[in-house]
Amino acid sequence: MARFFVVIALIVAVAVTVEAQTGVKRRRLLPYEYGRVVINNYSEKAGFAPVVLDHWLHRSKFTCRLCHVDIAFAMKAGGTSVSALDNMSGYYCGTCHNGKMAVGGEKVFASCSKKYSSDDMARCNRCHSLGKNVKPQYDFAAFTQRFPKERFGNGVDWEKAENDGLIKPLDFLEGVSISRKSLAVQKDFALDPKLESMPGIIFSHRKHTVWNGCELCHPEIFTGVKKGATKYSMIEIFDGKYCGVCHRTVAFPLIDCQRCHTRPVEWQKPA
Amino acid sequence: MKAWPAVQAATLLLAFLAAPLVPDLRESILPLSAAMAQQDWGKEFQAVCGRTDDAMTLTVQELSTLVRRCDELKTSIDKLEGSRRKVLLKRLQMCRDLYAFTLDTKERE
Repeated sequence: MARFFVVIALIVAVAVTVEAQTGVKRRRLLPYEYGRVVINNYSEKAGFAPVVLDHWLHRSKFTCRLCHVDIAFAMKAGGTSVSALDNMSGYYCGTCHNGKMAVGGEKVFASCSKKYSSDDMARCNRCHSLGKNVKPQYDFAAFTQRFPKERFGNGVDWEKAENDGLIKPLDFLEGVSISRKSLAVQKDFALDPKLESMPGIIFSHRKHTVWNGCELCHPEIFTGVKKGATKYSMIEIFDGKYCGVCHRTVAFPLIDCQRCHTRPVEWQKPA
Repeated sequence: MKAWPAVQAATLLLAFLAAPLVPDLRESILPLSAAMAQQDWGKEFQAVCGRTDDAMTLTVQELSTLVRRCDELKTSIDKLEGSRRKVLLKRLQMCRDLYAFTLDTKERE
């Protein structure tokens, strides 16, 4: 009898270990869902649905630096703890969503307000939309129809879209951003992968600094300002560290290996 | 009714004593853009955090000075009201961290 229980215990232990190693398969996000940010620091407590932010729309209009440095949004969803009062005071979402500012000739709708009637609820629901059937102002398919395509993430090559003049992300907000000297063009550089058979990485420092500036990545994400100062592995990156901070969430995803591992493998004559 | 002058006097005295504890209303009403341009802390903030893009070209001396100025500015920003304080402290922290890290890298070279 005791042997029977030992065998059962072993089977359960093996099953649990296998389950833990394989994990749970997650549904691949649809292009318009990729990068979506849900914020629920205070919404449900205040009787509203959590906020859903379409990152693709905002990234098409503003650089990363504008929102994550000048407006001070954290790099993690909910990390900023934005309150309605912050928005009403003209900070965070309220920096632009104030009913006065115009982007691309269109007035940006106001975010939270001290007083609101039932007529205003449609406006509240534009952001507080999780679980609600809210028709967005911008339809993803129509908005990105002319944009160059990519295989993963939003299915859009955002870099090429900018180079082709299809998007012009704003990098400066009067009264919010600081006038800076234009950043010297940063040289792209090569990084050697740990596996010999993997193509090398060409890191576009130029592109990253144009969109991010310096302080968004250094030292919070990359604890070095010199090439090779930060040592990291794909396991850490897949775990959401280093490149994974953005390339697992909003920028092209990590399964798109060839976007980074672009340097051809040099053929070596067998010994 | 005779108590009214005493109540009024007490209220005035309390208001006078509490005045330094109340945040500068003019400052909280002033939009960030105007505050940045007019207030001393705003001008200093722009001067200090406006050098992040060329941090790598700055000397050790310049970086040390910027880190010190960031620390001094933090004292002023700590006195601001809620949202403004929250945003500017985060922004200041980011530029201070960059200067401190660049300084550290340069000193090790």
